Amino acid sequence: MLFHVNLALREKTAERIMRLTLFCCLAALPMLWHGEYALGLLTLMAVYAVLLMGLDATVGYLGQINLAQAALFGLGAYGTALAIQAEVPLPLALLVGIAAALIPGAALALPALRLEGPQFALSTLSFATLSVIFLNESESVTNGALGLSIVRPSLFNIVLDSTRFYWLCLTVLFVTWWASQLLLRSRFGLAIEALRDSPTATDALGIGTLRHKALAFAWGSALAGLAGALHAINFGYLQPAAFGYDLMVILLLGVVFGGRRNQWGAFAGAAVVTMLPNLLSNRTLFSSLVTLGCLLAIAPPIRTLLSRKIPSFSQTAPVAAMAAALALALFASNVEEWRKGIFALFLFAAVVGLPDGITGAATTILRKLIRFAPDPLPVATGGIQTAKSSAGLALHASKIRKSFGGVKAVDNVTLEIMKGETHGLIGPNGSGKTTLVNLISGLYKPDSGSVEIFGVRPKPGSLMSAFSAGSARTFQNLQPFSGLTALGSIMVCQRDGGISEAMGWLHAVGLQEKARLRCSEMSYGDLRFLEIARALATRPYVLMLDEPAAGMSKPDIIRLVDLVTSIKRAGITILLIEHHQDVIAVLCDRVSVMDGGQLIALGTPDQVRRNPKVIEAYLGSDETATQAKSEMRAQPC
Amino acid sequence: MNADFLALAQMAVGGGLMGMAYALMAYGFQLTYTAGKSVNFGQGELVMLGAFIGLSLTGIGLPYWAAVPGAMVAGAALGWFVERAAVRLALQQRNEGWILLTIIVGLFGVSAAENIWGRDDKPFPVPWPEGALEFFGISVTWPELVIAAGALGMMALVELAKRYTMLGIAVQAVSADPDSAELCGIRSKSAISLSWAVSGAAAAFAGTIIAPVTTVGPTMAAALTLKAFSVAVVAGLDSGFGLVLAGIALGSAENLSGFLLGSGWREAPGLILLILALALRPQGIFGKKIIRKV
Amino acid sequence: MKASRFILTVLLSTSLSSVAMAADVVKIAITGPFSGGSAPMGLSMRDGAKLAISQINQNGGINVGGTKMKIELIERDDEGKNDRGALVAQEISAMGDISAVIGTVNTGIAVMGDKYYVEKGIVKIITPAAGSASMTQWSKAGTKDLPIFRFAAHDGIQAQMVVEQATRLGLKKVAILHDATNYGVSGRDDLIEQIKKQGGKLKVVAIEKFAIGDKDMTGQLIKAKVSGAQAILIWGIGPELAAVASGKEKLGFKVPMIGGWTLSMSNFIDTAGTAGNGALMPQTFIEDESIQRARPFIQAYHKAYGVAKIPSPVSAAQGYDATMLLAEAIHEAGSTKPAQIKASLENLKATVKGAIADWKKPWSKWDPSNVETHEAFRRTNTVMGKVKNGRVVLANPSEKVLLEGKKTK
Repeated sequence: MLFHVNLALREKTAERIMRLTLFCCLAALPMLWHGEYALGLLTLMAVYAVLLMGLDATVGYLGQINLAQAALFGLGAYGTALAIQAEVPLPLALLVGIAAALIPGAALALPALRLEGPQFALSTLSFATLSVIFLNESESVTNGALGLSIVRPSLFNIVLDSTRFYWLCLTVLFVTWWASQLLLRSRFGLAIEALRDSPTATDALGIGTLRHKALAFAWGSALAGLAGALHAINFGYLQPAAFGYDLMVILLLGVVFGGRRNQWGAFAGAAVVTMLPNLLSNRTLFSSLVTLGCLLAIAPPIRTLLSRKIPSFSQTAPVAAMAAALALALFASNVEEWRKGIFALFLFAAVVGLPDGITGAATTILRKLIRFAPDPLPVATGGIQTAKSSAGLALHASKIRKSFGGVKAVDNVTLEIMKGETHGLIGPNGSGKTTLVNLISGLYKPDSGSVEIFGVRPKPGSLMSAFSAGSARTFQNLQPFSGLTALGSIMVCQRDGGISEAMGWLHAVGLQEKARLRCSEMSYGDLRFLEIARALATRPYVLMLDEPAAGMSKPDIIRLVDLVTSIKRAGITILLIEHHQDVIAVLCDRVSVMDGGQLIALGTPDQVRRNPKVIEAYLGSDETATQAKSEMRAQPC
Repeated sequence: MNADFLALAQMAVGGGLMGMAYALMAYGFQLTYTAGKSVNFGQGELVMLGAFIGLSLTGIGLPYWAAVPGAMVAGAALGWFVERAAVRLALQQRNEGWILLTIIVGLFGVSAAENIWGRDDKPFPVPWPEGALEFFGISVTWPELVIAAGALGMMALVELAKRYTMLGIAVQAVSADPDSAELCGIRSKSAISLSWAVSGAAAAFAGTIIAPVTTVGPTMAAALTLKAFSVAVVAGLDSGFGLVLAGIALGSAENLSGFLLGSGWREAPGLILLILALALRPQGIFGKKIIRKV
Repeated sequence: MKASRFILTVLLSTSLSSVAMAADVVKIAITGPFSGGSAPMGLSMRDGAKLAISQINQNGGINVGGTKMKIELIERDDEGKNDRGALVAQEISAMGDISAVIGTVNTGIAVMGDKYYVEKGIVKIITPAAGSASMTQWSKAGTKDLPIFRFAAHDGIQAQMVVEQATRLGLKKVAILHDATNYGVSGRDDLIEQIKKQGGKLKVVAIEKFAIGDKDMTGQLIKAKVSGAQAILIWGIGPELAAVASGKEKLGFKVPMIGGWTLSMSNFIDTAGTAGNGALMPQTFIEDESIQRARPFIQAYHKAYGVAKIPSPVSAAQGYDATMLLAEAIHEAGSTKPAQIKASLENLKATVKGAIADWKKPWSKWDPSNVETHEAFRRTNTVMGKVKNGRVVLANPSEKVLLEGKKTK
């Protein structure tokens, strides 16, 4: 960047100061500038900001297209309006509004949250359409298409004129913003990020995808209800058709264009959405803004061209979209008539070219301009403590069978591991080792047989249930939380403790220097270690490691062996799948061998290495080789 | 026959015929989904644009028999455009951004239609005679019959092409396993584009057969997409003929509920059915239950 | 976020600058649906008004207390949607320099939005919205001083004429079909009231409702047919009216359609085609050049807008005449202040020659107990129109005299 500014502030503090300044300015505006119309717009913006923060919970944080938010907004509005008609005091009416959105939202969540992607979008869209139909047809209650009028109530006997109501909305927005930040930037927020990146790992580590999705959706619905309540009081008149698909698209525009996963983004989006209709009627202003957008859009592809590469679709498409918007701004006879089309173009450019919205771009630029004071990390505490294990069975898998179609992946396998034992599981590729671990950890449901972990029988096929019984695992194919940092990955799943304890777990696997590094930027070997740290942080009774040394360099393998040795010393029972026979030999007390879904040998590493059946499984038998040779000799020339 | 029963039968038949148009749209979903695991959330907009383009072509003097194929060609081009602009990037990145992007492109389509053709609903001229035919006391108009015949015919045509032409077989190969198909020299990207183009043509055709009954207007798009989804989800995307049955059932149910409960409730059964189907059998439309491999 | 604050600041400064403009213009706002199902009415009303404005401005403008002031026009599209209409009314009433507003087609918007004008005392002439509620809302509220006037044949008159026509045709059983908007619902209520008032000679065998956007009216029509209706009395807007007409054809249900003036809309006539022939509706104006009075206006409109047919002749003529009346009132008030214009409208001295009639004091001082004080039209200057081959013609040729030289009341 051209220049830097060094601030003695931490980024978090700077953001808080900016936020406070923003609200002070917003609150002061009515006193400086008297204009009913503008005040109305600002109030609308505050209401939309609350609504968009709610939408961000599903669209931004969960990453799902939620098409029900406008309808929930409407339900909240009608709820409050009816409460006000029934002379319920204002604070209670706001709560009614929240409930009016939260309850149907919860009802929708039950089926919808098990769905992903297009199915989720569809279920929310159906719900939204049904809600509008319901509001339209319940004429005796809502007055249907004719609309519902209410008189603005007073708050504790204070009449709410425009300015006071505006301040009320600002207060609600301030509280909502603070609460959203608290909720979504906390461990809850980490969990939501984690479940996007790997739902399997999230469940396997006991974080609970469904629970978190439901909470996030509930939060979003509650905010929709609150915004609806404010909207009803602000506008005084409600019509079902106003809460349909047209509004929903505008809300999506706000969230995406403003910036997802970001309360500032929701605010910026609300401002854009409120101002956009007015911007459109002022052609010169609009044209200048679009030109600015074009220039911003064209910078990346030009940079790519200059370095002699062909710009990608994500770089060229936004330019095309903004150019089309500019053409409309300059040549369309009535820009207002193209409102939807212009929204569409902006939204397209944002989704493809500016995935983090304008706040994302602004934050990136700000971070380059300003060097904030670093956020210090506390000293590591905790980590792997030496302990003694008790006696008895840790894991008892009894007569497990699992078939996929005609293939018997696991065929009548019985496995017994004692507490504190490190038990190896080896076998050629496709022998069913990982499937067995998947069955024990609850990813699959066995066709028959049972699993007992520390005397508890978890529900078959349930990752969360197996976790509660005391199991934790790593994965053959890495399942990192790519969007989180190493520290975040630990914090989201650790059973107890705060940052220092999380640092302790990182220290235990040798990753404390990389605490602030994003998983997507970490090396393969580091990610393998991180998976182990994650599992350790949950304080499991039984730790299952699925080929932890796969693809590791020699020095890393030595580190791995040291790590597993210290885990052993902590008294944790370990089930270790590995192909590296030297690792198995050093670490394991006993080894089970699988081939073709069946258990073919059990013994110490030494015994197993010499077992002829094991040799045959890996290398094939002598007899077949001899037979082939004799057949070849028998051929006439 | 009892007048009330006749009334119900009239409503059911009228709805059922219309439902075949929904089945045709759902068929378009099937084409793109099997090839590229994505559907056009703006399919209704393609139907609307096809109808408008057909209308304009008749307006400049082309006879109906030329205007409809003309609209289909435009539909194919639009379908290809949607795939290129909204879907390909997401497929490459292996995420589901195409949901939002197809919605966006559809939105732009509505806006363009409003400005090019105006916001009013316009009648669509057809060469069939006006007035209705009577079968056992039930009146059916020619355009309604054409919807049924056209939808069935179009679906049959595409199915035949899929099975008996080289192109069709190539697309089927890509649907089954894109990587193996590539290894055999079939460009999966082109196959996917082709399926989107055919889906667009089918949507445009659906527009030209629906418009004479409902008139053409920018607002016709939104409701249609959701109905087509209902048919696709309930029937299941690999169901072929099942789509037709589901379409007839949905259309009849709509008309009957509008008749019995009031016109505002028409859409309700389809929507409730969609949510239930998604809740109980989500893989109906978007894939078999995937076995997670970790 | 900084970006939004920047946008806000720029927005504020540009809008402040537009307030600056001054002096010798009279600012009038025209609002209505310029898009959506009601657009033909809104656009025709606007174009009729603009025709009047351009004629006035060509003559130098209105003579306001000695100075000639041209009329400056602000247009706002309310899209026929209630919430948008309310926003538009808020915006216009906040502008501060608007002398008067002409327009509104949809009753719901008059119900939702006009309160902002009443608050600020801005004069509004409602045209062509016909729903009774637009004016009865003020008599119900007991408002003492009302700047809202209506220049259209309201539904009380229209329902009366519809029932009279049905009775004249010798019908005994009728079905009422109406849309779900304020217009449709209040129309239905007006019809029922009128039937009772006229001696209960008609029996209502079915009352059916439809929504805006409905295309298939088979359900409602079957119910009407099955109950033996001999006519359909209908209150709705163009696209849905057309759906009813074609639905009737499909079922072979050949009964007359008699309804509100919206049956004269071009989007009904064009979409329904031959199915629409014979529909009857009250009209204050017929686009027929053989009517002497109407000819200059019709020809001027065709020429100015390059059309052979006015999309909604009644809206256009009413928009034109309302503007002429407003201009006269401003002239007689000698001021552009709404309060004075209002007083002047209530007491118009000169006779204004319009396209519809010669207007002599169409309005009088507002009396909350008598809505007619701010209603310009009476039964006597409304005739029955009929759809024939794509146009609206006089249903009863004998009524031509009413449209010729007759004056109001």
